[in-house]
Amino acid sequence: MSTLSSLRAAPIIGLVIGLALGLAYTWVIAPVELVNTYPALLRTDYRWDWVRLAALSYVADGDMERARARLNGLKHEDVAGAMRALIEEYTAAGRSADILRRLTTLAEALDVHTPAMLVYLRTPTSPPLVPVSTPSLTPTLTPSCTPTPSCTPSPTATPTLTPPPTPHAFSPLSTPTIEPTGTPLPPTPTPPLLSRLRVVEQEQICEPGQRVHIEVVVRDERGAGVAGVEIWLTWPGGADRAVTGLKPQHGAGYADFNAEPGVSYALSIGELGMPLVTGLRIEPCPVEEGENPLMGSWRIVLGP
Amino acid sequence: MNKRTKQWLLRAAVGAVVGLVLGFIIGWWLWPVQYTNTAPVVLRQDYRDDYIVMIATAYEVEEDLEQARERLKLLDPREPATLVVELAERLIEAGGDADDIARLARLAWALGATTSTLIPYLEGPP
Repeated sequence: MSTLSSLRAAPIIGLVIGLALGLAYTWVIAPVELVNTYPALLRTDYRWDWVRLAALSYVADGDMERARARLNGLKHEDVAGAMRALIEEYTAAGRSADILRRLTTLAEALDVHTPAMLVYLRTPTSPPLVPVSTPSLTPTLTPSCTPTPSCTPSPTATPTLTPPPTPHAFSPLSTPTIEPTGTPLPPTPTPPLLSRLRVVEQEQICEPGQRVHIEVVVRDERGAGVAGVEIWLTWPGGADRAVTGLKPQHGAGYADFNAEPGVSYALSIGELGMPLVTGLRIEPCPVEEGENPLMGSWRIVLGP
Repeated sequence: MNKRTKQWLLRAAVGAVVGLVLGFIIGWWLWPVQYTNTAPVVLRQDYRDDYIVMIATAYEVEEDLEQARERLKLLDPREPATLVVELAERLIEAGGDADDIARLARLAWALGATTSTLIPYLEGPP
């Protein structure tokens, strides 16, 4: 009996040993060769770099179909994460508005959203910084009929409310709500904050070891920082752009620019228009005798 | 060695052979090693080519030559610039996109590896 069961066990023992050897060989010694892989199998940092490259290529060539094809097969979370990181990095670095608009266009097409995109989203009309509910009266033709033999519709002006363009879904600004019925109240025009901004404060900052810069703080009527304001620093032969709120550690209304001595700067807000500050120059700070000379930065506070 | 031992060994050997074959089938076909976290160097050739084109295109936007070089080194650590030249020449032969070739030519030039074939593309598509 013992001999019989021993004989029966032999192939099973052999099978187990053979299987173990076979798996060890195929999984460890000679696994399937790693060739001809595709982007989705890349390590996370390489995958994100792939997305970044595809996005930057879109910036250069504007070929949406090609960009989509390059990102096809990648998880949306990878695409979204990499796109957000790229847009935020480029925004913080003050990259050109054209580049950021293209990136934003691609991000939108890929259903990726980040607050840094807000200022680059193309809307039919620039949304006001402070949303003001301004219902517009639009006459519409309503047939009014009197029971006469010849009933002809006559145009009657009936005020109807036309809501302003809907802000982007990610706008931090509150969406004005308008009741569709009822007598419209006369609009109370409030100029947008942008048009009311002026220089409230301008001071030289003299801190040793700090890079020379021009910082701008935008505040509203209550003194709170206002994020999302486009600031332009221009000088002969150049321009730089920043958006407030992208360095939240300095406050919502903060933006800054690198600056150099010997250059005359002008500061504008919104679209390049009438500058609020002109002839701004980096100047040496007053120093005591024996102290090292120090170039001062500027802090400019804008408010209504 | 008696007859029973021989019989035992024979059966065990047959079992081992069957086990080995099963192991090969499972390990190479049914349940092979799953690779994730791979590097660009193992990308399929068309993806590798596109990767190089994207590096050249991104270089136009970023203007960061070192970054471009580091990316190319992921494909060939020893001669990263050669990849760009080779691809550009392949695209020229194959009648590829002239803008892509021009971008590759400019990156190759920036990396100091341009060839006479690429010179006409340096100012843009010829």
